[in-house]
Amino acid sequence: MKHYLQVYQKFVSTAFTQASSFRISFFLVILMDLFFYFSTLASVIFIYDHVEYIGVWQKSQLMFFISFMLTLDWLHMTLFSESFWMMGEHIRTGSLDFILLRPIHSIFSVFFRHFRPATMVNGLVAIFFLIKYGLALNLSPLSWALTPFLIILGLTLLLIIEIIISIAMFWIVEGLGVNFLRMQIQHLSRWPDFIYASLTRKVLTIFLPVLLIGSGPVRFLYDYKDYKLLIGLIIAIIISWKLMLILWNVGLKKYDSASS
Amino acid sequence: MRNYLLKWTQTIRVAWTNYTTYRINFFLQVIGPALVFFFIKYNLWSSIYSAKENLIIQNYNFSEMINYHIWALIVGLLAQGHTAMNLAEDIRMGRISSYLIYPFNFWEFHTANFVAFQILQIFISLITIGALYFSPLLEFHGAFAFIQGYIYTLYVSIFWFCLQYLTGMMAFWLEETWILRVIVMMITAFFSGAIIPLDLFPPDLVAVLNYTPFPYLTFYPIKIFMGEFTAIGTPYMILSFWILIFIVINSLLWRKGLKLYTAAGM
Repeated sequence: MKHYLQVYQKFVSTAFTQASSFRISFFLVILMDLFFYFSTLASVIFIYDHVEYIGVWQKSQLMFFISFMLTLDWLHMTLFSESFWMMGEHIRTGSLDFILLRPIHSIFSVFFRHFRPATMVNGLVAIFFLIKYGLALNLSPLSWALTPFLIILGLTLLLIIEIIISIAMFWIVEGLGVNFLRMQIQHLSRWPDFIYASLTRKVLTIFLPVLLIGSGPVRFLYDYKDYKLLIGLIIAIIISWKLMLILWNVGLKKYDSASS
Repeated sequence: MRNYLLKWTQTIRVAWTNYTTYRINFFLQVIGPALVFFFIKYNLWSSIYSAKENLIIQNYNFSEMINYHIWALIVGLLAQGHTAMNLAEDIRMGRISSYLIYPFNFWEFHTANFVAFQILQIFISLITIGALYFSPLLEFHGAFAFIQGYIYTLYVSIFWFCLQYLTGMMAFWLEETWILRVIVMMITAFFSGAIIPLDLFPPDLVAVLNYTPFPYLTFYPIKIFMGEFTAIGTPYMILSFWILIFIVINSLLWRKGLKLYTAAGM
């Protein structure tokens, strides 16, 4: 564990060095994320100007959910997003060879490698909205204490699902399309489960459990008796973790190293 | 002249082959996102309208709201699909050296690529409309509205191409242009009414937006398809004005950028 932390520290310090070299890109990334937050929140606010409820939730409830997902997205963007885009490049050019040779687990080496310092700043905005709408809902102290853990739990499932999808790059080689597919999965998870029709909801909860990422934790925070989806989230993490490890090894066997 | 046209047709053919060879990639990159976007919106509005019978939101009943988003899907496929990713890549990787000596220059090559892409998107959009025609979701508002809307949307795609060309051209100065492209896409999607109709925006914001090209990129073409607006006059004039501005800026950027060009990798 200590070894992994030391390696990760190096990954982060390299990312900061790189980011300081491309300052315009650094500020553009901040701008991009801020506008994403603005457009996401504003769209929901504009809809609530005309209706009282969306599904079973009133404005503060859905805004808290959206803020929860934005905070999760902020962590994802900072810690992992860049690595997914780079994975396609590594497979296509064969530079994955050098990553596989490192004396650490290849999944860690591929998906934890690229830290994005520019997005760190924007976390304050996402957390601000999370607190604002959490206060509007009068969340209990226990809910506040659980929120960070539940965000990490949701992020874990999202990450595992995305890694499973990205394994397809070993076959497709050109990673751009797979990354776009991964982004669509993120889009689907950004809305609460009740907006989807019954069959879709079942598919996206059981077979491709993206709706558990946000709906499981947030429903539990609103009502501790509503824990079924949260249990589902934990089960989904365990099952998909095992599936990910199996598929990753199958993918590595398929990899034929373009540079060798 | 014949030779010149031959270069165009050959380049369009090669670009078409490239797009259709990597079919999975093309589907995941261009068609998939548009379909998922529509799918989410369909579910969201179904959920909102199911709360109350005969609910009307800013003059939209459920059917009209879904129709708005179906036409938004078609406009998205036809007008906004093309990206200038290759263009920026050509500059960044130092590949434009070839265009400087070829008898078919940089803008001609990328415009031919755009034409090939649009031909493909015309097929895809017509198939999508054809499939939706037989569903109870889509309402047609006559052949005139459809043809008007379709031609106007194709004109919008020229605006998009010029704007994408501009962001791609920034590769002369920026290490990464994808960020700029995503910012432009997000701003435009939101303010043009691609996410929610502009009728649902606060009136003061709509009043400001009417001084920008945004409403003419998605909201107007949708309303033309829905038979509420006509495309004659103002929309074409405004888009032409902006296209002209982008052409001037793009040619200035090209000249300035070439002076900075170091032909990386040569």
